[in-house]
Amino acid sequence: MPPSRQRGVSRREFVKAAVAIGGSAALSACLGRENPDLPQGPDDLSGLSRRQHAWNDALRTDDHGNHVPPRHHLLLYLDYAGDGTPTDTDRETAETALRSLERAYPPSTDDGDIGLLFTVGYAPAYFDRFEGTLPESVDLPTPEALAPFEDPVPDEPDAVVHLASDYGSVLLAAEEGLLGEREEVNGREVEATFDGVFERASLAEGGRARRTGFIGEGLPADNQDVAGIPDSEPVPDDAPLYMGFESGFEKNQATEDYVTIAEGPFAGGTTQHVSSMDLNLTQWYEQDSREHREASMFCPAHADDDVIEGTGENLGNSNGVGGCAETVEQDARDGVVGHAQKNARARDDGRPVMLRRDFDSTDGDRAGLHFLALQESIADFVKTREAMNGTDAAAEGAVGQRANNGILQYINVRRRGNYLLPPRESRALPTPNPGE
Amino acid sequence: MHRRRFLAAGAAAASVGLAGCRSLFQTRSARSPPLVSDRPDAVYVPSHVEGMSMVGMASAGDFQVALTYSYPHRFWLVSGDSPNMVEIEGSDSLHLMTTVWDPETGTVLPHGSVTTTITRDGETLTSGKSLWPMISQNMGVHAGDNLALDGDGTYDVEVTVPPLPTRRAGAFDGRFGELGSASFSLEFSQSALEEISYETLPDRQGERDALDPMEMEMMPVSSTPAPGDLPGTLVGEGTSGDARFVVSRLDSPPAGVAAEESEATATDASGDGTVTATDSGPSGDRSYLGVSMRTPYNGNPIPQASLSATVVRDGTTLYDGSLAPTVDPDLGYHYGAVADVQSGDDLTLSVDAVPQIARHEGYETAFMSFDELSMTVGE
Repeated sequence: MPPSRQRGVSRREFVKAAVAIGGSAALSACLGRENPDLPQGPDDLSGLSRRQHAWNDALRTDDHGNHVPPRHHLLLYLDYAGDGTPTDTDRETAETALRSLERAYPPSTDDGDIGLLFTVGYAPAYFDRFEGTLPESVDLPTPEALAPFEDPVPDEPDAVVHLASDYGSVLLAAEEGLLGEREEVNGREVEATFDGVFERASLAEGGRARRTGFIGEGLPADNQDVAGIPDSEPVPDDAPLYMGFESGFEKNQATEDYVTIAEGPFAGGTTQHVSSMDLNLTQWYEQDSREHREASMFCPAHADDDVIEGTGENLGNSNGVGGCAETVEQDARDGVVGHAQKNARARDDGRPVMLRRDFDSTDGDRAGLHFLALQESIADFVKTREAMNGTDAAAEGAVGQRANNGILQYINVRRRGNYLLPPRESRALPTPNPGE
Repeated sequence: MHRRRFLAAGAAAASVGLAGCRSLFQTRSARSPPLVSDRPDAVYVPSHVEGMSMVGMASAGDFQVALTYSYPHRFWLVSGDSPNMVEIEGSDSLHLMTTVWDPETGTVLPHGSVTTTITRDGETLTSGKSLWPMISQNMGVHAGDNLALDGDGTYDVEVTVPPLPTRRAGAFDGRFGELGSASFSLEFSQSALEEISYETLPDRQGERDALDPMEMEMMPVSSTPAPGDLPGTLVGEGTSGDARFVVSRLDSPPAGVAAEESEATATDASGDGTVTATDSGPSGDRSYLGVSMRTPYNGNPIPQASLSATVVRDGTTLYDGSLAPTVDPDLGYHYGAVADVQSGDDLTLSVDAVPQIARHEGYETAFMSFDELSMTVGE
């Protein structure tokens, strides 16, 4: 039996647990630990971006110019509470509820902390409520398997709200305020709630309508006491994610401009894909070598040249695999191809076509990842995922369909969902053609 | 506190009278004798031989799959040109294995991405965990890994067999393209595990030889056709890296190969200019070169290598390119290409990447370093 770390529950661990559990008791316990003392949000909301997904201006950047994501995340899956097509009254109520949240918390503080950022997205199933169809400028297919070896359950709620903050207590208070369980959030009166407009979604095969997670240095290491990770506590203390390496390098993210829908009634919006996957990291940490981890997360040349120190913090603002994209076929014949290397083939003018905002999770007491990506069209996500599948690499023979083929050996995609994030002015229960 | 650790701690506290729990670790030590000293860079008889226990067999779509287990044991992963020994962890309960085959022909299919989900009382222990593609002397090609269970009890094991990523030819053309799954109930107990046969081999260990293939009723063990049984013409044989290479020529490519392969050759031709097209006729009229790479002694196919071939006739290079891994019920798992070879041609085979398949003891030092294999094509 491995020695257990001799220390109490850290604040970080505690807050993560409180977010995962939810409810008023968790909130008050969480507040006792965090005491964020955040300012309130603005009275005048006209300064907020039209783009729901425009978070980067609020985010801190690190020494290399990489955007630092909020530490705590909550996904709320919702169904419209009424029958058929949403009413204008419900639309106004929903919008007032969302504005209440914006007035309760600032996107960020003068200290650079994230108060509250959120988006509201709608699934294809939601738009089925209407006679009309989505315009051609929106690519929003129903979710499906994206690799021959996966069999995910489709998530088909009406809507999904993504809440993000550096403070777990903010997520809990925002959730309660939104769903009508609190009358006041951060000292601001809640003027309307989703009560009677939205209810927690009923998802196929018992899917969770409430998903939680975290990202950032220390959080994965503090929360590795779950199934899917060996008891040896292998996750490095400074790793932002369970697999032990940095991600989200500035040069390996699409820009917010790039992922924005350019034209049509939803111009200013974007699409969101959320895959929920389980991680199996015993092989990764106990059986594979460090060199293999570097080769299969980045590319074999990185491992050969020993370019990655620790979690990859030394890489600056780019994973540096651009050059490896051209050697996928050769590396496949040599036996190993990297995850980032394969993905680097799905680029446009040298940049990725999607913006990752994913985070780790302990939902169900097992190590998981909610892979949340923004892109102008779902086809951009599909293109990236197909590059990641490495089916061509597997056909070369030496590389398996999963073994030695990026990180496919260690992940199991359990659920997939696609959503449209409308621009802010039509974020509340939109019709398929808001201008009409 | 982690549930598994809690259970382990509880068991330790209550184990005064539970000899089984404490003897677990000792048993494992005994089950893993020291590695043979001075292992040859070749196939050798390992320190010990283990049997296995059958959980069950079931169909999973087009596939037939068996779930078996044995003692946890050390094995070697291969990443590029480096082997990496995987030690037995204290938490490992068993070595879980799957064998996948075609129920119609009994051909074992090397399948690199079988996954398992293990649950007990509704609680998930592993979720879609990929087993490693592996090769052992007595089991042949299979998938497996050492796993930790939560002690004695009944576990539900869902095995998922995705479409076979390897090219399918002959009677396998158009098959194994759908994901299938099968459910098993695994009654695990430490005492049943310890009844599995186990024998150390102090007199034979280190010899250049191999354990006999296991014989299991109903369940085939991977193999390759004897050279004389290969379809077409046997045109050459050789040994490199302690693997045997048996080369055959078919007058025309097997079903499922022709169209795509002629395209690949055309790409090669335009790539470096050293390749000349030998035949402008339809690819169906061109011959097929099949190379069966197999273990010595037992004749197991050796998957997950990269092979290429060069064919030279009268000083002219007629083929210089890769050989695609392919399954065909008559040729077995092999590496092949549409390439004309005739009696008297100079044929050179190269192993561009050593087999990336994980190896059980006795195979880990073999198939790691290869010389080019040159031969003159026979009649």
